[in-house]
Amino acid sequence: MTDARITADIRYSVDHKVPGMWHLRLVRAGIPAGTVTAIDATAVDDEVAVITPEDVLPHGKYGCQIADQHVLASEPKYLGDPVVAVVAATEKAARQAAAAIDVRYETSPAVFDELEAVQPSAPLVHAAHVTSNSDSAYFEMRPQDGTNVCHHFRIRTPGLRGRHEPNLLIDLPSPGDDRLADAFADADVVFEETFRTPAASHVPMEPHATVAEWVDGRLEVTTGTQTPFNLRQDLAVLFGLPAESVRVVAAPMGGSFGAKTFMRTEAIAAVAAKAVGRPVRCVLDRDEVFGEVTRHASTVRMRIGARRDGKFVAKQMLAYLNTGGYADCGPGVAQKMGYAGVGPYRFDHVAVDSYCAYTNLPPAGAFRGYGAMQSAWACERLVDMLADELRIDPVELRRMNLLRDGDAFCTGEIMRDTHFEELLDDVAKAVAWQDGRKGKGIAIMLKGMQTPSRAEAAIRSLPDGRFEVHSGTADMGQGSVEALTRIVADLLDVHPDRITVPCPDTDLVPYDTRTTSSRSTHMMSRALAEAARELRNGGTVGRGRIVNEGGLDPDTGEGIASSHWHQGAASAHVEIDDETGVIDVKTLYASSYAGTVVNRPAAELQNEGSMIMALGSSLFEEISYQDGQLVNPNLSDYNIASALDCASIQHRLMESPGAEVHGLGETAVPPVPPALGNAVASLGYRPRELPMSPERVLASRVDGRPAAR
Amino acid sequence: MRIELSVNGNAIEVDVEPTTMLVDVLRDHVALTGPRVTCGVGLCGTCTVLLDGEPVSSCILMAPLALGKQITTIEGIPRDDEVVSCFDRQHAFQCGFCIPGMVLTAKNMVEHGTATSREQIREGLGGNLCRCGCYTKIVDAIEEAAR
Repeated sequence: MTDARITADIRYSVDHKVPGMWHLRLVRAGIPAGTVTAIDATAVDDEVAVITPEDVLPHGKYGCQIADQHVLASEPKYLGDPVVAVVAATEKAARQAAAAIDVRYETSPAVFDELEAVQPSAPLVHAAHVTSNSDSAYFEMRPQDGTNVCHHFRIRTPGLRGRHEPNLLIDLPSPGDDRLADAFADADVVFEETFRTPAASHVPMEPHATVAEWVDGRLEVTTGTQTPFNLRQDLAVLFGLPAESVRVVAAPMGGSFGAKTFMRTEAIAAVAAKAVGRPVRCVLDRDEVFGEVTRHASTVRMRIGARRDGKFVAKQMLAYLNTGGYADCGPGVAQKMGYAGVGPYRFDHVAVDSYCAYTNLPPAGAFRGYGAMQSAWACERLVDMLADELRIDPVELRRMNLLRDGDAFCTGEIMRDTHFEELLDDVAKAVAWQDGRKGKGIAIMLKGMQTPSRAEAAIRSLPDGRFEVHSGTADMGQGSVEALTRIVADLLDVHPDRITVPCPDTDLVPYDTRTTSSRSTHMMSRALAEAARELRNGGTVGRGRIVNEGGLDPDTGEGIASSHWHQGAASAHVEIDDETGVIDVKTLYASSYAGTVVNRPAAELQNEGSMIMALGSSLFEEISYQDGQLVNPNLSDYNIASALDCASIQHRLMESPGAEVHGLGETAVPPVPPALGNAVASLGYRPRELPMSPERVLASRVDGRPAAR
Repeated sequence: MRIELSVNGNAIEVDVEPTTMLVDVLRDHVALTGPRVTCGVGLCGTCTVLLDGEPVSSCILMAPLALGKQITTIEGIPRDDEVVSCFDRQHAFQCGFCIPGMVLTAKNMVEHGTATSREQIREGLGGNLCRCGCYTKIVDAIEEAAR
């Protein structure tokens, strides 16, 4: 049978409609910071419901890691923050009503840049720091009172602990007053640089779409979400209900890439449905999708010390994440960005300070790569700069320092099932590294998987001889339904036609942490294996439950960052037009450790898709703001890669017989920008900021001369 | 205004404002879900339909401009169509949101003989974006269909 996604026999959340439903539109703040002083809705028709910040006040605040957000803002934190909702019988009437509402504001000072936001003199985006009881806050928060830093994640390897240090560093300390200076004592060469990445948009082809409905006192929400159980919990808290009184159905998504995680428009749709006593639908326009959640813009200051022979001695990293007006899962991103920036290398000493900072920009949250892309850019560009300084081949310098089985990572966890050297050799070979390195670059990285987490699953045998798989894994396009079908068909040794996988419905399926961090194929396949074993032992239902334990101490970074590691490398071969700065990508190659592949075409597609998204991040994708206003929230001003950009792409899934299943949703994202950046650098440029637009490439010429004519 | 449109071989009468975009008519009045709005400005190709066999962006085409023309959406393409089969065989999809538009554009390319090389296929897909990044397999599928 032809796949339903080709013939449009699939129903995405944007296709979900309920008879009698009304339509929601949001009125968004026209200022980046301040207070709503008046809302004039006198021009709105009587049949339209108008919901104001005052109306939602009783619900309190929500937030997956920090409860800092009201359903509607009386004190908007960014330009575009929803301040009023209107609900009408038709979409057109809702749009007209939204346009007829006049909101008055008193503005207050705003801050947009992450480095400005951490200065002591910066205006505070939130007057006070708070925490959250949500399941999604899986580590202790370390807000810095009196600053915009809502979470500070630290790594201090054992020799660097217990020292009296400042809470917030704005610059890498000079060796004279560096409390950690002794970490670099054995280094012959110490090298440092600052790197930046901009905000970016996920651009899921399908916008956020939600239908909320109250049925006999229960809230039912059908929405595109990667996090149905987190959403259920956070909605239950908002409405003072037990979790069982909220039902979340995660419809198939037309792409997400992190955009459809945690609470998006579900809360306001639920409030509106209650207010009008009908189902309410909310679909965002494209410009609203751009502002709904973004990738963290970041500044990373990194210092590396090595011996003359190339052996790495110490690394110090200060990462500043721009999390916008609300934290969302920024603290988690800060943590992952922190340890991913250390890279897959051995060091005697590591000190990382990762600061998640509020600004008056749209909130940043989960984005394919989850912080690893930002810090791998810094880590891998700096390794190449060091290689130049030491006059050691970048491949050999990496080889000398790579983590191998039995080595301790900076968190103290002992590495196993490492494949970094194989990956490194593979990507070097792909660009014929041995034949000269002009125009070529390589990069390697490690990325963690959500730890701790829990995956539960059930397999039910149906009277007609088929088997129904109950799993909370949401399908955002990665092909989870196909993967689950194959896994269960293999486990039960039956034809895939006898397997059915309904979409995640919290009334039906058992708990799963969420479909993020490329964890699902790995975790869910093992939960299903248990479920299949139980089913084989008799009865009509088999249940499985898999937990991965761990987590990191927020003050030392000690613990288990990841119960297994995503390992990836990339290489690139480029030419640059000296006059225009335009990069011509001849080869872009990525090699990702896959362990055992479950569904080959889908695995290849995940790898290719990661590379293509990262290619866009490398060369042209950037959200631009002017005084807090998003200036390119559309696909004519914000370009994403087309078929014409992808001719140079090749890749490999590195398999290992009998190995565990590794998720592949993101592995090929982080190594691509630095591989391209290092290739550009080999031609006499020094890129430090993404994307490498022609202007930036020209400005980064090492000799400083304008291009020869 | 009341207009009669020919959609997938059926005559359909709808009452719409003259400025209503064709994609909204197809989705809201004809209950088709194949044409989809992503960019809303005629750049991404997700809303592609065929108008007398030629691909157009239905998100920027006012419905009355389709009067007297044969409108074909993915729902009007037979399940055993060669291009559809090639997309399926090559697994040329992930989330699938852009795929109906890709298939319709590909059909036009294959029928007009403008899918003779991978480079030409890429050129032909310039107006159809896929954020999942399935381009390699989509080009494989169209190449196979054109053989």
